[in-house]
Amino acid sequence: MRQRPWGWNPTGRRRWAITALLLGHLAWILMGRGDSNRWQWLLGVLSTPAQVVSEKWISWRQEGAEKVQNLARAEAELRQLRFQVDSLQKEAAQNASKVQEAEEAGKLLGLKQQLPLELKTARIIANVRKAPFGGMVIDRGKDLNLVPDQGIICPEGVVGRIWAVASHQASVLPLDAYNASTAVMLGRSRATGVLQGVGPGRAEIRYIGSQEMVQINEAVFTSGLDGVFPRGLLVGYVTAVHPQDVELRVEVTLVAPLDRLDLVLILPPRPEIQLQPPSTPPTPASKAQSQEPK
Amino acid sequence: MSGRSGSSSLRQIIAAGLTLGAIHQTAPWPAVQAVFHALLVIGLAPEFRSPLMGALWAAAGGWVVEGTLRMYPHMGGTPFADMVVCLLVSWTLVQWPPRAPKAYWGRLGAFAVLHILLAHGMVLIAAGSHYWGYGSLWTLLTVPLWAALSYKLYLPHYRE
Repeated sequence: MRQRPWGWNPTGRRRWAITALLLGHLAWILMGRGDSNRWQWLLGVLSTPAQVVSEKWISWRQEGAEKVQNLARAEAELRQLRFQVDSLQKEAAQNASKVQEAEEAGKLLGLKQQLPLELKTARIIANVRKAPFGGMVIDRGKDLNLVPDQGIICPEGVVGRIWAVASHQASVLPLDAYNASTAVMLGRSRATGVLQGVGPGRAEIRYIGSQEMVQINEAVFTSGLDGVFPRGLLVGYVTAVHPQDVELRVEVTLVAPLDRLDLVLILPPRPEIQLQPPSTPPTPASKAQSQEPK
Repeated sequence: MSGRSGSSSLRQIIAAGLTLGAIHQTAPWPAVQAVFHALLVIGLAPEFRSPLMGALWAAAGGWVVEGTLRMYPHMGGTPFADMVVCLLVSWTLVQWPPRAPKAYWGRLGAFAVLHILLAHGMVLIAAGSHYWGYGSLWTLLTVPLWAALSYKLYLPHYRE
């Protein structure tokens, strides 16, 4: 059977393909004549999908690159911040002692302004309280006209008294020394007694009658009867009360941080001003605000 | 056309491919490029057993020539003329198979003249007036060379 020359058989398909090729080329030739705007327009239309896809692709790539750049920038910034934090931490560690000293100086200044006394400042240069017959040494002596039995205080409370004076140094007898005696009174009952040191940071009040009502956590102030401290300086808080024959043995925890003192204030010899204890006795939680002379 | 069927031989494809590459590589020398162009379009492409394959090879030769001339967008004239001439030569080869080399040369020379005129006409339509050059002259002068090569390369079954 003879195949149809232009039918859907191999020969026909070949003829159609050749015809399409020729017609396509003819169309190309005719559209390319003269001004090329038609080709430009046709190519623009045909390339629209590719342009849309490529624009999205380019924007996606740009966004990705921007994210990578932002991430790199953030990492660099993070490294820089970490470096700055490390530097600041090192600087803070280096300045910690200075900051602490400045804070102490600030507290001393505040205390100095509160007390209507001529106070002198000194620095603890040796602290051997825990050694037998030990004490503390300050960096001022006769050069500052210091004399024995001048009171030493710090922002937290009473520290002790000057024991011996040298030309440029002076030894200090702290409140917790076994041979230290200080005239004190209880904040609530106003009962007076003598504070004697019994160990590091601790002391006992003697000569308080057994009929007195002493409460735990009761504040203890200087009474001013010894002529060393004015009346009303905070000494410590009652931690225990033991009745004995005719008197009470009252254990007191001192408020002054005797182990880590740096700057102290020196009271004038035999101060005359009588400071009254606060009407509302402070609690251990408010030790920082406990110095309220009237 | 319908008298020939079956696949083209590997030798034909290699020869056509090499000639196409030569057309591209000889772009700096238009005269040589014109000779290779005529060899592909008139001497090699019509010998393919499939006329469609021959037309495609001829069109490829035309597109390479116009591509090297950077005629965009005024293109298509040369490949159109190549396809038409290739199909005509292919048809004559089926209708009147060559018996002697010199007659074959003459036939190819005549088709070379037709190809030159048709190509220039189509390019004139597509791109406007243009410079003719000496490629056509070299194509005609070297007809014995590339026609003999075409005759030697192929020995179609219908020539036996």
